[in-house]
Amino acid sequence: MWVKILLGMTAVGIIALFLVYKFVYNKQHPDFEKMEAAFTLNAQDLYQAFKSKPDASSAKYNGKVIALTGKLGRIETADSLVIAVFIFAKGDFGDEGIRCTMLPKFNDAAGKLQPDGEVMVKGYCTGYNETDVILEKCSIINQ
Amino acid sequence: MRTCSIIFTLLFITTISAGAQKFITKTGHIRFYSDSPLEKIEANNRQVNCAFDLATGDFVFKVLMKSFEFEKALMQEHFNENYVESDKFPSATFIGKVTNFKDVNPSKDGIYDVNVEGRLTMHGVSKNISEKGTFEMKQGKLIGKAKFNIAVADYKITIPGNVGNNISKTIEVTVDLTLDKASM
Repeated sequence: MWVKILLGMTAVGIIALFLVYKFVYNKQHPDFEKMEAAFTLNAQDLYQAFKSKPDASSAKYNGKVIALTGKLGRIETADSLVIAVFIFAKGDFGDEGIRCTMLPKFNDAAGKLQPDGEVMVKGYCTGYNETDVILEKCSIINQ
Repeated sequence: MRTCSIIFTLLFITTISAGAQKFITKTGHIRFYSDSPLEKIEANNRQVNCAFDLATGDFVFKVLMKSFEFEKALMQEHFNENYVESDKFPSATFIGKVTNFKDVNPSKDGIYDVNVEGRLTMHGVSKNISEKGTFEMKQGKLIGKAKFNIAVADYKITIPGNVGNNISKTIEVTVDLTLDKASM
């Protein structure tokens, strides 16, 4: 009897450890492509919000998934990154605006986007670095 | 953040002198690496802003903390929420000077040893840093590299006791930047 109880408790313990490992310690990063956007905005409005009220906008938008619509400025590549850039100003760092780093599965599609074309992208906002608003893990919703 | 913004802008104004040779990037790479007996932890940020003025040796880095990516989602959560408190302190800055910048010849490809001094502000704490690195002039681009260690306690980053053995008290920071000449 005690042996069965002991074996049962050991089995429960092993299952609990496995679940903690899988769903807590080793849990997956969020699937940003599938996540619903907390905000849907015009790209220029988001940029102006950060530029005029950086602290309030950081509190509101940082760490959130945001869907943006706007006229694409250009596509940049840097090493393995493909970045869709919305341009709204010119500063000491060159063009300033919103930089959207694509999820790797959207790199090819982003590379085919045409400058000056309207596009809707969705991504995770990591903040404003005083020249650009940064969105990462971006997907293309429509073009 | 507003104070930081003013410093950032002023630094640029002072660096845009006549004949300035300013180099910039918005895709610099900074890597954090912690090697503890229990776990090796690595985080990468490939969205680092950096400007360097070869005429004065002045440079500025701006790093968004939420842009650091970890292999494990849980570690990324802990990093942002518990350690660097990225909602409260969304960015880090490193403002300083390459003291031997006159040794670098921008018109000649080559690798130069450089001495870097500046003030690193992270988690609301500013500390003076003095490190060595290299500059490589290559086909009009400036490639900057450096590797140094920072003690997390110096920046009032507290590692809870239950994960104390998982995270090193000293973090290795690797900087790898390819800067293009700014078109002014």
